[in-house]
Amino acid sequence: MTTTEIPTASRTRQDAAVKKPPRRRREGAAWVFLSPWVLGASVLTLLPMAVSLYLSFTDYDLFNPPQWVGLRNYTQMFTEDPRYWRSVVATLTYVVIAVPLQLGLALIVALALKSMRRGKGFYRSAFYAPSLLGASMSIALVWRAVFNDGGTVDNLLGTGGWVNQPGWALFAVALLTVWQFGAPMVIFLAGLQQIPSELYEAAAVDGASRWRQFLSITVPMLSPVIFFNLVLQTIQAFQVFTPAFAVSAGKGGPADSTLFYTLYLYDRGFVASHMGYASAMAWTLLLAIGAVTAVLFRTSRSWVFYASDTDGGA
Amino acid sequence: MRSCATAAVLALCAALSGCSGSGDSGGGGKAVLRYTWWGNPDRAARTEEAVALFEKQHPGIDIQTSFAGYDAYKQKLATQAAGGDAPDVMQLDYRMIDQYASGGVLLDLAKQRSALSTADIDAGLLATGVVDGKQYAVPQARGTETIVYDTKQWKATGVELPREGWTWNDWADTMRALAKKSGKPGGTDPGWSEDAFEVWLRGQGKNLYTKDQQLGFDADDLTKWWTFTDKLRREGAVSPAEQTTQLDGTVENTPLGRGGKAISDNNWDAPSSGFLALVPSGVTLAPMPSGEDGTPGQYFKPSMFMGIADNSGYPEQAAQFIDFMLNDADAAKTLGATRGIPVNESIREAITPELKDFDKTVADFQASLDGDLNAPPKAPPSGDNALQTTFQRDYDQVSYERMSPREAAENYITEAKAELRS
Repeated sequence: MTTTEIPTASRTRQDAAVKKPPRRRREGAAWVFLSPWVLGASVLTLLPMAVSLYLSFTDYDLFNPPQWVGLRNYTQMFTEDPRYWRSVVATLTYVVIAVPLQLGLALIVALALKSMRRGKGFYRSAFYAPSLLGASMSIALVWRAVFNDGGTVDNLLGTGGWVNQPGWALFAVALLTVWQFGAPMVIFLAGLQQIPSELYEAAAVDGASRWRQFLSITVPMLSPVIFFNLVLQTIQAFQVFTPAFAVSAGKGGPADSTLFYTLYLYDRGFVASHMGYASAMAWTLLLAIGAVTAVLFRTSRSWVFYASDTDGGA
Repeated sequence: MRSCATAAVLALCAALSGCSGSGDSGGGGKAVLRYTWWGNPDRAARTEEAVALFEKQHPGIDIQTSFAGYDAYKQKLATQAAGGDAPDVMQLDYRMIDQYASGGVLLDLAKQRSALSTADIDAGLLATGVVDGKQYAVPQARGTETIVYDTKQWKATGVELPREGWTWNDWADTMRALAKKSGKPGGTDPGWSEDAFEVWLRGQGKNLYTKDQQLGFDADDLTKWWTFTDKLRREGAVSPAEQTTQLDGTVENTPLGRGGKAISDNNWDAPSSGFLALVPSGVTLAPMPSGEDGTPGQYFKPSMFMGIADNSGYPEQAAQFIDFMLNDADAAKTLGATRGIPVNESIREAITPELKDFDKTVADFQASLDGDLNAPPKAPPSGDNALQTTFQRDYDQVSYERMSPREAAENYITEAKAELRS
C-alpha cells in the first residue's frame, strides 16, 4: 500500500506544479466571462439586499436620512399591527388555494395532451398563451371588469361582483393565477414524455387499470417534476402582487381580503413612506419563504422518487 | 441550503422589481418641463388648452403633461419624488406639502420670486403653502365639500330639498326618506371618508389634528361616527358595502356616478363637474350638514397647490408656468373653475360674471357660503396621507360587518398613533 501510494502522491504534486499557471489563467478567463453576472448580482441584488437589511432596523421615510430604531419595526409588525396579520392570513389562504388548483389543472391538461394524437402543438400553445398574457397589467384590469358588479360574471351568474365581496374576491385573484397554468403544464408534459412506455405496457399486461397505472407509475415517476413545480409555484404564490393590485384597484380590498403580503409591503413602503417597516416586512417574507421551502424539501424525502437513486444503488 | 438560496433569490426579485423607466424625450433645444396633476377628463381637456396657450406665448418651453385619478397620482408622485425624479411642476394636495417640503423635494419659491407673483392671493390661503416659514407651494384654487345630488331624481321623490344649516340628523332623516320613496340608497355612505368625518367632527367643535399635530379626537368620537353611518347602511338609507368599497375619490366610482345607484353623493365641489357626463339630467350642489347646534363643519380648503421640484433643471421656466396658471387672465378664462374657484382675487372677480354652466354653479355655491364658514385648519401632518387610506380600510371592516364600529375605531386610533409617532 505505502509503496504504491508515495509515488502517486509525488506524481500528482509534480502534475500540479506543471499545471498551475494555466489553471490560474483559466480562472481569470472564467471571471471575465462571469463579470456581467457578478456585476449585476452584486450591484443590483446583493448591495440592495444589504441596504434593505440595514433599513429594516431604521425609520426611513425616503426623504430624510434613516434613523436607527433597533427592532422596533419588527416588534410593531408582530404586536401592534392587526392589518399585518390580516395580510399574512390572506397570503396563506391564497397559497393554499391557488397552488394546488393550478398544479392540478396543469397536470390534468398535460395528461390529456400527452395522449392526444393530433393537434398537440396547437393545444399546447393555446393553453400556454394565458401565461404569456398573465403577467401584464392589462389582463388583470380586464379581470377586474369581468368580475365587477355589472361585469360578465355578474350578468351570467347573477352573483354580484366577486371583487366586491370579501368571501369571493380572493377566488377571483386565485382564478387568474390558476388560469395561467401554462408553465407548469409544459414542464409536466416534458416529465410525462420521459416515463418509459414499457412500464405502462408491463402494467397493462398485468391487468392494471388506467387509474392504477396513474397512481403506481405516473405519480411516482413524475414526482421529481411535481416537486419542482410545487416549490416554484409556492414561492411565486407567496409573492403574488400584480393580479391583486389590479383586481382590487390597489387597495387589497374589500375588507383587506386581497391585501396580500407584498401588496401591504408596497403600501407601507410607497404609500405610507415607511421604507424601514417595508424592508422589515421583506426580510420576514424572505425568511418565511425560505422556511416553507426548507420544509417542502424535508417532506420531499418521503414522497419524491428519483429513479437515478435506485440505479446508483444497483 | 440550495432551497434557501433559491428562495432568497426569488424573494428578492419580488422585493426589488418595481416600476421604473421614464423616457425623457428631448424637445430640440427647448426647455422641457414635466407637469402632472390629478383630475377628471374635463379638467384634463381644459388644462391641455391652457398649456397650449402657454406654449404659444413661450415658444422656448415645451410642457409634457400627464394626469391620473387622485389615488393613482398620489402613489406615482410619491414613487417619483423618492427616486429623485419628481416632475418639474406638480400639483399637490394639502396633505402632501408637509412631507414633500420637509423631505427636500420642493423648491423654496422665494428663489423664483421675480418670475412668480403671489400678490393677488389672499394672505390666509397663501399661508397654507408655508412650511417652516418658507413658501413651498402656492394654492391654486379653493374648494369645499358638498352634498351633490341628481336634481331630477331627488325632486321626483318629493322629499324636501337640502338647505344651508341643516344638521346631520336632518341629513340622516332625508337619506331614509329618499331611500323609502325611490327604493335605492339616498346617498353614498360617508363613513369611508376621512374628509366627511372631519366635517362632522368640526361640527362638534373638534378637529382631526391638534395644533401640535397629534390626534384631535378619540375612539369614542370615531365609534359614534361609524355607528351613525353603519346604522344608516343597515337600513339601506346609504350605499351598501359593495359600492362603498369601490370609492377612490373619482366621481366615476361613486354610486351616483355608476349609473345612478344612489341619489346623492358627498364630494368636493369642483370635481363634481365630472357628474355632468354621468348624470344626464344634471346635478345640484348643496351644503354639507352642520353640527346639531348649527356649527358649520365644512370650510374653504385650498383645493390644490402647485409646486416646483427642487432638482428641476428649469426652475425659472417652471415658475413662469405657475405664474401663468395663477395670474394670467386668458388662462383663467380657459381653466374656469375646473380646479375650484381661483384664489387670485382679481382674477376671481374678473371671471365670476363670465363663468358658465357648472363653473357658475360652483361659484354660486361658494358665494352662498362665503362668510358663514370657520377658518381652515393648519395643514395636516405628513402621516395623514397614509391615514386617509387606513381610515377607508378600517371602515371596510365595519361595513362588511367584520368588526364592530368600536373595534374598528380602536384599531384606527392605534394605527394613527403609530403613524404620527414616526
